[in-house]
Amino acid sequence: MQVPTELRYTSEHEWVRPGDGPLRIGITDYAQDALGDIVFVTLPEPGTKVQAGRPLGEVESTKSVSEIYAPVSGTVTARNDALTDNPELINTDPYGEGWLVEIEPSGEVDLDDLLDAPAYEELIEAD
Amino acid sequence: MDSELRQSPLHDRHVALGAKFAPFGGWTMPLEYAGGGVLREHTAVREAVGLFDVSHLGKVTVTGAGAVAFLNARLSNDLAKVGAGQAQYTLCCDEGGGVVDDLIAYRFADDHVLLIPNAANAAEVVRRLRAGAPDGIVITDEHEAYAVLAVQGPRSAEVLTALGLPAGHPYLTFRTAELGETGLSDAELNDAGPAGVSIVVCRTGYTGEHGYELVVPAGSAGALWDALLRAGEPYGLRPAGLAARDTLRTEMGYPLHGQELSLGITPVQAGLTWAVGWDKPEFWGRDALLAEKATGPRRRLWGLRALDRGIPRPHMPVLAPDSDTVIGEVTSGTFSPTLKVGIALALLDTSAGLGPDAEVVVDIRGRRSRMQVTRPPFVRSSVRT
Repeated sequence: MQVPTELRYTSEHEWVRPGDGPLRIGITDYAQDALGDIVFVTLPEPGTKVQAGRPLGEVESTKSVSEIYAPVSGTVTARNDALTDNPELINTDPYGEGWLVEIEPSGEVDLDDLLDAPAYEELIEAD
Repeated sequence: MDSELRQSPLHDRHVALGAKFAPFGGWTMPLEYAGGGVLREHTAVREAVGLFDVSHLGKVTVTGAGAVAFLNARLSNDLAKVGAGQAQYTLCCDEGGGVVDDLIAYRFADDHVLLIPNAANAAEVVRRLRAGAPDGIVITDEHEAYAVLAVQGPRSAEVLTALGLPAGHPYLTFRTAELGETGLSDAELNDAGPAGVSIVVCRTGYTGEHGYELVVPAGSAGALWDALLRAGEPYGLRPAGLAARDTLRTEMGYPLHGQELSLGITPVQAGLTWAVGWDKPEFWGRDALLAEKATGPRRRLWGLRALDRGIPRPHMPVLAPDSDTVIGEVTSGTFSPTLKVGIALALLDTSAGLGPDAEVVVDIRGRRSRMQVTRPPFVRSSVRT
C-alpha cells in the first residue's frame, strides 16, 4: 500500500498535498483498495465553502459508498472533472490523476494537525 | 472470529492470487482478485469466461429407496418432471410458506439425489429433512467433502472441451467424468489424488451466461482449478470472486437467500411460482402458498432501474413518485457493470398498483433518486444459448 511521505493524511483516509495556495486533496491508496472499483464520484462545485471534518462529497463503488470529509476548512477552487467519465482514475492513480478537489484554506492552516506518513501507516496497519 | 470461518480447499490458491476475502455464510471466500476487480471479472464472464470457487455451497446427498418421492413430498418444485441426469431449481419452505432455502436438486436416480443448498442454510435443510425421514432414507451432509467450481461465460464450453470435460449438454442437465480420462496434465493428475476420481459437470450457474458448475471431491479441487486456469488462458478466462457473482446475478434478477428470499418472503412474493409444483398433493408450505396465490400476494418483487446517477442499496425505502408514502423496500441493489447505471430488486406493495415502466423514488441517504420499475432480467439471459 503506497503512503507517499510528502503528503499529510486524515484518519478518514483523505490525503492533502502541502503547499502554498490551494491544497489538493484525494483519497488514499488504502481507501481506494478497500472500496474496490469506483463507479461514481460526487464532488462540490468550485466556490463551495467546506468545513474541516464535514462531508464534502461521496465516492461510490459497486458494493458501497463512502463519504469524503474536508481535511481543512475553506473554499473549493477546483474539481477534478475527469472523474465524471473516468472514476477509475481514483483506483489506478489515487495520488495523481485521481485527485478530487483543491481547497483554498480560510485563515491559517496548521497541517501538523494532520497525520504524517508514518502515523497514517500505523493507523492503517492497526485497521 | 476469522478462525471460526471455514475455508475452501482452494483457499491457499486464492491467497496466492491476491484475493480479498469476505465472510459468506460461515465461510471465508474470495471477493475479488488482484489485477481483476469486480468490473473486470464481471466483464470477463459476460464476454469471455470466468472461474468461480463456490465451494461454500452446501452438498447434501439423499439416498435410499424412494429418495425422489421423499424429497418431492417436501421441496416445492415437482421433481417428477425431471429425469435422471437432470437438475432442478427448487425451494425448501416452512409450513407458513416462508423460504428456508433455495437449492438445486441433481436427480441421479430414483434412489439418489444431490442437493446444493446455500452455505448458511445447509445445516438447517439437513435438519429439516432428517426430522421424520423414514428408515431407509439416508441424508448425508457432505459440505466439506466436495468443492464446487463454476465456469461461466460464452467461452466456458471451449475451456471444458480443451480439458476433455463434458460440455454442450442442455441447460439444467449434468454429466459425469473421470478426471483420469480427461486432459489434465500428469502433474495435475498426480495432484488430483487416486485414479478414478469422478466429477459432475452440470449446465447451471448464477450469472445468466452459458456455464457449468463442477462438483469435485475436495482433495482433487486444486488440480482441477489449476487445469481450468491453464486451459482457460487462451479464452480470456479470469478467476472471479463473489463480488462479481453478485453483480452478475443481480443483473439477471436472480434471488439471493437472505435478501429476496427468507422465512418472511414467500415464493409467491418473490415471483418464483414457476418453482412450485402446485399440482403436487404434498410439499412443505403447500396450504399457505395456495392461499396466498389465490388471494394474491401483498407485495411482489420487481426490478428498478435508475433514471439518474443513484445507486440503490439493500433496505433503502421505495417511495411513491408524488408523495413520501413508503411503498416498498430495496432487497438488492448495485451498480450494473453492463448497463452502467444503478439497478435494484425491490419488494413493492401490490396495493400501490405499480407495474412495468412506472416511476418510483428510492430514498438514497436522504436524496430522492428516480427509478423505473422493470421486469427482470436487466440484461438478456444467455443460459440456454
